[in-house]
Formats: sequence, C-alpha cells, structure tokens
Amino acid sequence: MISEDEVQKLANLARLELDPALTPIVTGHLNSIIGYVQRLDEVDTTGVEAMSHVHGSTNVLREDQMLEAGSVPDAVPLGDPTVPPQPMLDTQALLQNAPDSSGTFIRVPLIVE
Amino acid sequence: MSDIASLTISDMRAGLDSKQFSCTELVKASLEKADSYSVLNCFNLISAESALHEAGQIDALLAQGKSAPLLGIPVGIKDVICTKGIRTTASSKILENFIPPYDATVVRKLKTAGTVSIGKLNMDEFAMGSSNENSAFGPVKNPWNPEYVPGGSSGGSAAAVAAGICPITLGTDTGGSIRQPASFCGIVGLKPTYGRVSRYGVIAYASSLDQVGGFAQNVKDCALVTQAICGQDPNDATSAQREVPDFTKALGQSIKGLRIGLPKEYFVSAVDGEIDAALKKAISVLEGLGAIPVEISLPHTDAAVAVYYILAPAEASSNLARYDGIRYGHRAKGNYDLKTLYAKSRSEGFGREVQRRIMVGAYVLSTGYYDAYYLKAQKVRSLISKDFQDAFAHKCDLIVAPTAPNAPFKIGAKISDPLQMYLNDIFTIPVNLAGLPGMSVPCGFTSSGLPIGLQLIGKPWDEETLFKTASAYESATDWHTKRPTTAR
Repeated sequence: MISEDEVQKLANLARLELDPALTPIVTGHLNSIIGYVQRLDEVDTTGVEAMSHVHGSTNVLREDQMLEAGSVPDAVPLGDPTVPPQPMLDTQALLQNAPDSSGTFIRVPLIVE
Repeated sequence: MSDIASLTISDMRAGLDSKQFSCTELVKASLEKADSYSVLNCFNLISAESALHEAGQIDALLAQGKSAPLLGIPVGIKDVICTKGIRTTASSKILENFIPPYDATVVRKLKTAGTVSIGKLNMDEFAMGSSNENSAFGPVKNPWNPEYVPGGSSGGSAAAVAAGICPITLGTDTGGSIRQPASFCGIVGLKPTYGRVSRYGVIAYASSLDQVGGFAQNVKDCALVTQAICGQDPNDATSAQREVPDFTKALGQSIKGLRIGLPKEYFVSAVDGEIDAALKKAISVLEGLGAIPVEISLPHTDAAVAVYYILAPAEASSNLARYDGIRYGHRAKGNYDLKTLYAKSRSEGFGREVQRRIMVGAYVLSTGYYDAYYLKAQKVRSLISKDFQDAFAHKCDLIVAPTAPNAPFKIGAKISDPLQMYLNDIFTIPVNLAGLPGMSVPCGFTSSGLPIGLQLIGKPWDEETLFKTASAYESATDWHTKRPTTAR
C-alpha cells in the first residue's frame, strides 16, 4: 500500500504539485493500479531475459556531415518524400514557442544567486 | 454535387482525374462537413486557409494532367503529430500554444504524396486514454450515437472518417489507440509493425510501443494511406531498413488454406455476448472463404495489461520530463524559484490522467522498486512476445480476435475508475508489447446499433497478410458500407 505521504513525495519527485484535497483520491487510484500490476509476481520469469525493445534493434551510425543552418525546405506535392537530415532549426521559429525570451535567448528565473 | 467529402479514395480519384470536381471543391466540401459536424468535436484545429492554399497548388498539378494515388485527397492528422507552422497540442494545455518548427516525417510523406490536411484531430491528452475523454479540448463523440465514446486515444481520427469528413486520417497506437477507436466507430484502422513507420516529429508517449498508422472507410483506402507513410527514416533510428511491399497487391487475393489462429484466452466470458457472436460469425465467413481456423494459446495474455501499465507510464514519466515550462509550452505565471516553477507549470499544464501516469512511472522506476516492477515487466514482456512467436512458428499465419471486449460505452461511464478503463485494452495491448502489426475491421453491430470490430494480428512485417485477409472478408460482407446517419 502506498500512503498519502508517499504519494506527496512521489509528486515532488515527478515535479508535480498535488492539491492536498485531491491526495486521498490520487492515492486510491495509485493503489488500485499498483495493486493490479502486482499480479506479475505470479508469473515465473526464472532465466527470462528482460525485453526493452522489439526486433532487437542495434545502434544506427552515420558519417558526420556539415549542414547549413536554416530550415528544411517545405514538402512539395509529388516532390521528394525523403526527409533531409535536419540542419539547425531557425532560432526565431524556436523562440516563438518560448514562454519568455529576450533577443536570441530564452529568459528563465534566477537560478544561481 | 452531393457530399463528395464522404466518397472513397477511388471515387475521389476518378472525380478529380476526370475534372468532375476540383481539389479546391473537394477540400471545401471536407471543411464544410467538418463544420457541420462540430458537435462531434473531432478537431482541435481546422486549418482552412492552408488547406485551400494547398488545394490550389494541387489543382495546378491536376490541370497539367498529373495524377498519383493520393493527389488531392483531404486528410486529417492526429494532434500528437507535428505539423510545421500549424499548432500541435497533443490535446494538452501544456502545449496549448505550441507551433512546431518542422513537419513530422509522416506529415512530410503525406504532403509529398499530394494529400491536403484540413486540420488537427482531437485525442486523449498525450495519447493516454481509451475513450477520448482525457482531452483539454473536451471529449470527442461517437458519430453512431453522440452519447457514446468514440474510443481513444485517436478518437477524433476515427470519428472524422466514420462521419465522412475526410476519407483517411492518421492516428497513433501505443496500446490500442488506432484499433480500438476504429472498432468503436465502425471503420478500418491499422497499426503497422513497430519500426515500419518513422516516429520523427511524433510527440512521444511510450517510445518502445508508439507507432503511427492510418484510418479509412475501407481496406483499400487503408492500404493507400499505409503505403504513403511507411519506410525507413534517417531521422528515426528505430525505423527499420526494410523494403516496403506494394500493399495494394495483397488486395483481392485468395485466403484459401490460410491458417487463422484463435487464441483461447481471447474468447472468454469477459467478452460481451454480442461481440462474441459477431466474432464467431466473422470467423465462419473467413472459413467459407477457405481459411482454416486453428485453436491456439497465448498463455501470458492475462499479464499484458499489468506489463503495459508498468512500462508505458515508466517511459512516459521520462518522455514527459521535458515539459518544464522553460523552453516551450505552458509556464506558470508568478515569481517562483526554479523547482516551484517546474511543479506549478506541470501541474497547471497536465491533466489528471497524465499526472497519474507520470506518478505511476516515477513509482515503478524509483529506487527499491525498479527490479520488482520495471525489470519484472520487461521479463514478462519477453514471455508475451514469445507466445506470439511460438504461435506463428508452429500453428497459424495470422491471429483473429475481438478488438475490444466490449462495445462503445457511454461518455462518463468509466472515467472515475482508471483501472476499468485500462482493461478495455486487454486485447490490443499484447500486440504493441510484441511489436506486431494489428488491424481492426468492422464486423457487425450491437442490438443498440453500435459498431463491433474484428482484430487481425500478423507476424512482424507481414501487413500484407492482414490486408489480404481483411480485403477478402470485406468483399464477402457489407459492414464497411454502413455509415452513421444520426450524428449531425
């Protein structure tokens, strides 16, 4: 059983702020899920290898190459479907998604006093 | 011209090539239909302006006599797939204002195939859900009866095709998110083999399970959209270097002598009686076409949901760590220190189910629990995968099963009990864990007029046998011709 205190600790680890009023409900849900998945204890896995990925993929390597900064050319109907290797993305296009920015920088709260 | 938006691709192709209607007219019809079905809440965003601009370009190509299987066909894209310059939210408040700086590979492929995207489709937030009720933009409704869920997480993608807004859409499937909504909406949906389709530009949920696939009104259209998106991509190291066959060649072929495996663990009392009856009828249709039913056993079926609800949340808790309110996405207003800013931004931005899964993931990965949960689940995943390998090696050429144990349920019926919701994916989850291709095709209706789906599960890389079998089944039945009439 996971206690409400443990749930609060877990929320903190996951960088979530849990409303104290909701903690009992969230604790109940987590216990029902964790209780359910414990049925795996009954499965004999002696000598079984852990599977992290299907089809046994291996690392894919390629030669380094120099790319010009800028955007990938737009897709054109009946054009080339291959996706070119990505150059650096356009700074302004990236910054328009930043919650706060200044010049070519993302503005963040004070981290080091 | 009556309702050209709901035509099949073949009929659209004929109409466009013979100049019966232009791509602009077709796209306008699709946009109008999307508008008239706004009650279904299929779309998070309708991109009318860019759609009409692209349609104009296609019309110029058509005027030059150009043709291609998907040239000028309207499509919709699940809102978890990045579209350059067009808002992509994953149905989350945390990405409410996110404008991707590039196209996902599948979007680029569809564009170069000549399709025109009319908008971004509603879904469960970050693809976490089986009912499309976990969306920051409200639930999607089932076109067959708007009081019922369309399934999830690709609910908008399935509902848009079922309602005849556009003939094909893209979805993603991590534990059944294409097949279950296809089943609930009475259409065709295919999750290809893991690695068949690039995940580049697809917002990640559980990376070892996620796969993009297509929805369509019929098997041929599904083959066309699948063809357009498959193939190795240098930008996704998990996409496989394998030749993509011509899937349309599998259509119309005989299934005489094909051994169809019926897993005894999938035909159990937990399956709704009407679904069981529809499935048995479908199996006898396949038998009539020359297929040979074989009973098989997938002994670890019962463990699959538990394995999934350890591995998927674990991967999600890691994948979703990037949403911290710093570089992009929602940032909490106020003067906070860094740690508080993270926590406030994330709690304000993520919905309840997403927060729940992040916490489950953090729990099963935490010190002292890793071996008992995460490692154990990875081992049982091996056993589940081996069950399928054994069945395909010795007994059958494909597996036939229900897509879901129950018919669509009412909106609100399961939302307060996460575990009951999770169990809805009991027959689709094992397929993702083993990385296999899986398809749902319509095979009947409940007494209350809600669709039932037949699931076909293939060997790795053997989508062709699924298309062959589904096309044979479709030619012997008329379920795929039924369309909802009451949704508007």
